[in-house]
Amino acid sequence: MTTQRAEAASGPAIDIRFGQVGLIQVLIWTTNPGAILDELTGRVATAPKFFQRTAVSIDLGPLGREPSVEEMQGVLDAVRRAGMCPVGLASGAAVAPALSRPLDLPLLPPFREFQPPAEVGARTRREEPRPEPQPEAGVLAQLHPQPVRSGQRVYARGRDLVVTATVGAGAELIADGCVHVYGALRGRAVAGARGETGARVFCQDFHAELVSIAGVFRVFETLPPDLAGKPVQAWLDGDALRFERLGA
Amino acid sequence: MTEIIVVTSGKGGVGKTTTSASMACGLARRGKRVAVIDFDIGLRNLDLIMGCERRVVYDFVNVINGDCALKQALIKDKRLETLHVLAASQTRDKDALTEDGVRRVLDGLIADAFDYIICDSPAGIEKGAHLAMYFADRAVVVVNPEVSSVRDSDRILGLLASKTHRSVNGNGGVKEHLLLTRYNPRRVANGEMMSVEDVKEILGLDVIGVVPESPDVLSASNAGVPVILSETSDAAAAYEDAVARLLGEELPLRFLEEPKRGFFARMFGG
Repeated sequence: MTTQRAEAASGPAIDIRFGQVGLIQVLIWTTNPGAILDELTGRVATAPKFFQRTAVSIDLGPLGREPSVEEMQGVLDAVRRAGMCPVGLASGAAVAPALSRPLDLPLLPPFREFQPPAEVGARTRREEPRPEPQPEAGVLAQLHPQPVRSGQRVYARGRDLVVTATVGAGAELIADGCVHVYGALRGRAVAGARGETGARVFCQDFHAELVSIAGVFRVFETLPPDLAGKPVQAWLDGDALRFERLGA
Repeated sequence: MTEIIVVTSGKGGVGKTTTSASMACGLARRGKRVAVIDFDIGLRNLDLIMGCERRVVYDFVNVINGDCALKQALIKDKRLETLHVLAASQTRDKDALTEDGVRRVLDGLIADAFDYIICDSPAGIEKGAHLAMYFADRAVVVVNPEVSSVRDSDRILGLLASKTHRSVNGNGGVKEHLLLTRYNPRRVANGEMMSVEDVKEILGLDVIGVVPESPDVLSASNAGVPVILSETSDAAAAYEDAVARLLGEELPLRFLEEPKRGFFARMFGG
């Protein structure tokens, strides 16, 4: 009890969400309750557990005319007696709206055209081009003057990253722009993290475990002797990652 | 003014407890009031190294839980009057430590006008290690000259720079010192072990002491005497130097070269 009260006090009383459930459609060709009940009980008998107390929507489409409220009450009564629970009316034609209120049943879109509103909304929203945080002109690089230790991760969002100390093995530098290390680079350097293929990695003392530019990466199980401990830059040349000694 | 010093490393078995005990003794021998706390709840070791294991009645967790007063749990060292030990609980686990509880114990020691509180951290980076370093003003990172210890120390240095009270509240951060232990100059010369310079370069920190590998460390531990108190040992002299440097003295590093063997030793293969 106490926890329930605590929950109620801390959050909203309800949540409204869009969801999707499968719903059985009962298509009617007639409003004759006897005929409907006969057929339904026959069908229900084949799979009693499946149909018992199951929610159904009554589709008036095949009927091709507008039934009276009394006719429909008979239909609903037959469906209920067969063990099902009608929860709505479905029709492509304009017949159902007039029945919705007196029968106290909501209108559902017909099955074939059925599309859950949540899905539609979410999809259109997702298709909108997301505003990419572009580096604005004149944005300064992110400066990190302390050593980056093993297990630490530094991310420069939408700009360059400049580290003026050592980067330990197992540390990660990530930048949407270029990565510059004025010290030893023993960890990983990821430039162009959002796909900027023009991004580069520069370092003073190359011992990197991994270098990646715009998703193209190379791991260094053994360091090339011409690069180890040297000032090095890395850039992307088409699909190939290139390394070069600086000032050589 | 009380200074809280954490002795930590990340990796196990590098000599944190040996260092905690020796540094605490060294500071106390210089007249400082020192409390040394074992944060390795469930694996109580510091009391053995300090030789007070049979006098532990109440422990750190008892104080945190309010089972006893801080004064009742502090064990007075028999050799050095100003040295006190707060033992870990052997029967509990690290969840018995809470940030608030640790803060209260440290506040109690500060109110009692201790000069230094040495926090002997457990290995690892979990709760016990986190709380041991959290309130520290300074850190002594114990490192062996080998790659895995160096990497773990780098990790610990990263946590010291980001997950401590001083770093979180922007009070200038924790002052970090490096202490190399188990240093074997002969193996360094043969290229089998990393040198002081290698470790300094990788971790980018200055070294407060280099303790040579010595059989005296093991025998002192087994005897329950902190190694700094064994007068003739190189390890003791190295710890004594480290304590002096901690207090601001500038001393050259010793024991970086293999001791020259004397004429007779060479003649008779001693």
